[in-house]
Amino acid sequence: MERVKTGIKGLDEMLHGGFLPQTANLVEGAPGTGKSTVGMQFIYNGIARYNEPGLIVTFEEFPKQYYRDAANFGWDFQELERQNKLKVIMSSPEVTRQDLQSVGGAIETFAKEMGAKRILIDSISHFRRLAVDPVELRTIEYSFINALKREGLTSILTRESTALFGDTIQPDDHIAFTVDSYLLLRYVEIESAVSKALLVLKVRGSDHAKDIRQFEITSEGIVVKSKFEGQEGIMSGSPHRMADAFMKAFVENRSRK
Amino acid sequence: MAVQYEDFTAKLMNDMDPALLDFVKNKVNTFIKWDLLKFFHENPNTSDTAENIARYVGRSATAVKTEAQQLVEGGLMEMRTVDDLLIYTLTQNEQARQLINRFLHACEDRNFRVKVVYHIIRGMR
Repeated sequence: MERVKTGIKGLDEMLHGGFLPQTANLVEGAPGTGKSTVGMQFIYNGIARYNEPGLIVTFEEFPKQYYRDAANFGWDFQELERQNKLKVIMSSPEVTRQDLQSVGGAIETFAKEMGAKRILIDSISHFRRLAVDPVELRTIEYSFINALKREGLTSILTRESTALFGDTIQPDDHIAFTVDSYLLLRYVEIESAVSKALLVLKVRGSDHAKDIRQFEITSEGIVVKSKFEGQEGIMSGSPHRMADAFMKAFVENRSRK
Repeated sequence: MAVQYEDFTAKLMNDMDPALLDFVKNKVNTFIKWDLLKFFHENPNTSDTAENIARYVGRSATAVKTEAQQLVEGGLMEMRTVDDLLIYTLTQNEQARQLINRFLHACEDRNFRVKVVYHIIRGMR
């Protein structure tokens, strides 16, 4: 089956070719891990390499921040908007939700007129203000995701994680069940330096890489590198060497007996 | 003497492109309208309620609602209703957008900005 390539070096390989078409793909991480960069790169590569126009819907960062951030990577978002291949839309969850529910809304119109195939929603975390009840929130997010698919869009939805290292319990953890794939971005402390780790936790209907890989945000965007070697507990944020773990499990415990 | 001074100041402050002078006196006649146009010029595909726009520009929701409505009446913004939401966007009228662009480009000059401030304050009296 044809895949929607991210064009991000190393990531398409982890996804076994890219995202499945018209799927919703969650990218979660702490501040500064590169969630928005993954999304912007996905949109930019879609336009520049695969002739797939895209939309960016932002609920907090101003579009001019995106123009500036993209320019740092050599991506001219304003020029792409002039060419009608990209639209950076600032709105709110309540307006975007109503917009997608109504016939002839802005996103539907832009998608049809531009032939948009990709969309970045930055970030789905803001939907929490639409409902306190988790069941209601799940219904809202499910309906929203379905509306994006209805318009033929392959989406990246970013989600904020408050924990800088390790894991955190999110009030809307159910969205992991609703989306088609789930990518985790994490900070990792190794030998007094902070690295970034990426894990593909889930891809519905497809195989994917199971290893945890190091990635960097370079001057040309995100580059996914090789997996962490000889380390355990990467996703905890504080990994240890596998040799240490072996010693602890098999040598120290035996001597206690 | 005071009248002569005032005439001289008015002459100085009126010294700008007539289209822009009319624009400043009749369309962008408050600071909040100026804030709104600047925001929408920088973020042209914004589509949102007055309450959220107020958050984006750091002004009160009540004031933004009133001023945004006046900009709609002045043909610089558009408003549509979706269910119970009133959603504001920048005008799609090309002529109006060009005038907004011209105004905001002119605002990059400090002398022009001083004149705009003068006219807004005069209009508030």
